[in-house]
Amino acid sequence: MEAEAFDVAALAPLGFVAIGALVTLMLEVVLSRRAFVGEGVDPETRLVARARIGIVLAFASSAAIVLAMYAAIYQFELGFETAFGPGRPMLQLDALSTFATALIGLGALLSVWLSITYLPALRINHGEYYALLLLSTAGMFVLVSAVDLISLYLGLELTSLPIYALAGFNRRRLRSNEAALKYFLMGAVASAVLLYGMALLYGATGHTDFTGISQGFAGGGGLALSGLALVIAGLAFKVSVVPFHQWTPDVYEGAPTSVTAFMAVTVKTAGFVVLMRFLVLALPEMGEKVSVLLGVLAGLSMLIGNLMAVVQDNVKRMLAYSAVAHAGYLMVGFAAGTPEAWTAVLFYLFVYLFMTVGVFCVVIALAQGGREWDSIEDFAGLASQRPALAAVMTLFLLSLAGIPGTAGFMAKFYLVVAAVDAGQIALVLILVGTSMVSFFYYLRLPVVMYMQKRRQDPDAETSSSEIVVLALCAAAILYFAFFAQADPFGTGVRALDVAGRAADFLH
Amino acid sequence: MLGPYVDAYLISWVVFLPLASGLLLLVANSVAGFLLRSNGLPKVVWQVIAMSSTSLTFVASLFGLWGRFDPEETGYQLVERVAWLPDYGIHYFVGVDGISLVLVLLTSFLMPVVLLASWNEIDRWSRSYLFFMLALETAMLGTFVSLNLFQFYVLWEVMMIPMLFIIGIWGGPRRIYAATKFFLFTVSGSLLMLVALVIVYRMNFEQGGALNFDLVRFVGHAPVPGVPLLDTVIPATTESGAPWWQTQLWLFGAFALAFGIKVPMVPFHTWLPDAHVEAPTGGSVILAGVLLKMGAYGFLRFALPLFPDAALAWAPWMTGLALVGIVYGSLVAMVQRDVKKLVAYSSIAHLGFVMLGVFALNLQGVTGAVLQMVNHGLATGALFVLVGFIYARRRTREIADFGGLARPMPVFAALLGFVVMASIGLPGLGGFVGEFLILLGSFGADPWAAVIATTGVVLAAAYMLWMYRRVVFGPLDKPENRGLIDLDLRERVAVGLLALPIVWIGVNPSPLLRRIEPSVSILLQEMELRRSHDEIPSAFEARSQELP
Repeated sequence: MEAEAFDVAALAPLGFVAIGALVTLMLEVVLSRRAFVGEGVDPETRLVARARIGIVLAFASSAAIVLAMYAAIYQFELGFETAFGPGRPMLQLDALSTFATALIGLGALLSVWLSITYLPALRINHGEYYALLLLSTAGMFVLVSAVDLISLYLGLELTSLPIYALAGFNRRRLRSNEAALKYFLMGAVASAVLLYGMALLYGATGHTDFTGISQGFAGGGGLALSGLALVIAGLAFKVSVVPFHQWTPDVYEGAPTSVTAFMAVTVKTAGFVVLMRFLVLALPEMGEKVSVLLGVLAGLSMLIGNLMAVVQDNVKRMLAYSAVAHAGYLMVGFAAGTPEAWTAVLFYLFVYLFMTVGVFCVVIALAQGGREWDSIEDFAGLASQRPALAAVMTLFLLSLAGIPGTAGFMAKFYLVVAAVDAGQIALVLILVGTSMVSFFYYLRLPVVMYMQKRRQDPDAETSSSEIVVLALCAAAILYFAFFAQADPFGTGVRALDVAGRAADFLH
Repeated sequence: MLGPYVDAYLISWVVFLPLASGLLLLVANSVAGFLLRSNGLPKVVWQVIAMSSTSLTFVASLFGLWGRFDPEETGYQLVERVAWLPDYGIHYFVGVDGISLVLVLLTSFLMPVVLLASWNEIDRWSRSYLFFMLALETAMLGTFVSLNLFQFYVLWEVMMIPMLFIIGIWGGPRRIYAATKFFLFTVSGSLLMLVALVIVYRMNFEQGGALNFDLVRFVGHAPVPGVPLLDTVIPATTESGAPWWQTQLWLFGAFALAFGIKVPMVPFHTWLPDAHVEAPTGGSVILAGVLLKMGAYGFLRFALPLFPDAALAWAPWMTGLALVGIVYGSLVAMVQRDVKKLVAYSSIAHLGFVMLGVFALNLQGVTGAVLQMVNHGLATGALFVLVGFIYARRRTREIADFGGLARPMPVFAALLGFVVMASIGLPGLGGFVGEFLILLGSFGADPWAAVIATTGVVLAAAYMLWMYRRVVFGPLDKPENRGLIDLDLRERVAVGLLALPIVWIGVNPSPLLRRIEPSVSILLQEMELRRSHDEIPSAFEARSQELP
């Protein structure tokens, strides 16, 4: 493919968030100079000013993300297709990347809304937060359209570095520092592994672009295979697939919850999408070996994620292991590797976004007084105090568990159908068996919320931005539970078809 | 004005009416509070709404479904079919035949009675309680009328959620344990069924059939406009080369696990006593009256017609488990000190009878099983209601705490006596007809099974009458029991309503049998037609010849 003229329109989503990041950064400086200039400003005034600035920044970053999402959706509807880069294609804009861009944008947008009241509640309302979040989003936009190992690596680092900082954003909290340090160190190792794998792949095939690798890969060979394994390992780290998941519980627990929500949905989406593109483009005839490798990763993730989640007493930690388990479910789709399975994976990621953001939003809605209320006991008797919050939490958890009547079930159902179709019966049985285990821990929260007496007495109110997020997530989960493939309101959009179009990037 | 819509979607109206009024309950409080500027309305308003909607549901199912059901016509009637996820062959597809009709009627009848019986029982979050009951009713009715495997699975699982909360929030001291156990047992058991469903679906597609979850396209049965009958090619061999009947064995096993847990059949029964004892009266009645029937119904509607060869091969094992259930359930019931637990174990024994009838796989046995499901729902429901009444008065259910209740509570004693008789299966009451048919069918299939089962009848009489004697007769030696007040009008009406159909079925079972029998006979014919493997073990030759 020839290097094309730089197509600005194609890069619009990336541009919007990148510019948004810079603007929020500058805006914070300008606004706080105006608010804090001069001696003798009392702390109360400072706090109020800071809160105001936070709201302005949140709006600015929302605007940037909405523009980016709008551009991505527009490109998706146009069927935009272009590849560009210096000399050879580095980024590929197509249905998959625009779909993933919109999805990641949605995750980022909801995370921004989650942060509006959460950051002041934890007294960490600093302006860099939004800039970092937007930068990381920009990195993911690069990642999902990467068709070359170089752009993949660039995207991955741009994604990760801001998140390392975000994970440690609660400076005063030791656990947050620990999370950041741990994530950074292990992330660095993962990056090194990835780079090493890339080097091996380049050595074996003489190419860094995915399609080039697929041509050079034809002979197979130990060098290429080990390079492949290392690249998969590096990416598996980002999406927390066992055995590369060890960072997950500590980081999920230690990071501020809005950051946890952000990385739980967006990094996972970006990581899985780029892994999907890499596998499909670089290994068009995915051999038995790769399928077995992915299947083993899937099985381990489901088993370890679900079993470890059972013994957790901290909700965020439990959700971290549940994230590992869900990564395992998604890997079942990867092991199947049919177009149907890719559709199911994308639909799963879409649904997963709503349930995960929803769950973390409930945890956020409980936070107050500079502390998180995230142990299981903190949820005791919540139903008598804040019935609506308990009800939506139950809905999200049932959806994560994959109980029928929720979108989570539909997502799992499509995965199961695709996997059975591909003959992965063993993996399906593991999926089903570990899902039974998962009922056990997903059920704990509704049980304590509804069936136990209230122990603590936080009288926090759910803020309006949180209500919006919760309502949106709950509505989406109920809607897609019944209309994943239907269009009752005549919008012309059927969710599964959209995912199918995005998955159909190979034609 | 609504006439045509009601006509065309009769079943949907019946199914969704409870849920609609339940949702109304959820929003009505805030609306009323806003309009009247008050702090919400009193509990009785919600109860009246729930009562009237469930009663309306019953009336609709009586006149709409029972009334319009044509017993002469075989197959599904009042069918509705709307595309839901058409690419996957998933439709909203409902209809009734004789078997589901009587169970729908049982469900819609029990619900208002239960609400009446537990009128004063719930004092906390009563609006939520009513919502869960109404949602539960919709899920149960929907499960009985589902003709699409996927839709059936969804409703089957959804049904557990309201029950989980009913037991867990309004139950007794060990409610959390009981609710969790109930939920984990029943929901986990069903997951393998989902896998089996998907495998059947894929196999059918690979053999050249359509992508399809509609039951009639797998197993035949009545013609439905626009739905090709049996367009499926039932595979002679599966992909892996195993004959279809061998694959059936596994698939049937997965279904049997899901249904067997729900029945419950013996190794999987341990959730039942806990759930029953801890549940509030309303929960117990619905659990025993309707939820336990789901398992047996699932066998009849799905497992048997989908996997006829496997059903025959598994029949001796299932019969064996049923017999174990009958004898074990009865023996354990005999030593119970808690009345509610006694009734719970008696349920295991009675459901053992039902399963015995189902796996007799002949006309009398299966018909008797369906009839016995209805009888058990009514009689055991009434027992739980009565136990709930004395528990409300004495806050205990220990048999030893009672004695001589006939004197302070003569009406209670009389009604309990009647219900005990019904539960034992006294001739002239419903239970007798069902048990008799089951034993008849079972004798035809395997005389020894019938002989063993008969001991269950004797044991049932023993533990029920013994309990009755210790509670109602004997000296009135506990001072707390002297001042007990007899049943009031509401309580009498509730039990009386349950007693009516018990007598009616006992005296004149033919209206029910006339509707059940043709459906059962079609079911057995289809099983026979779709058998792919002739060399079933010789022990079952007799049984297959008996098929009409």
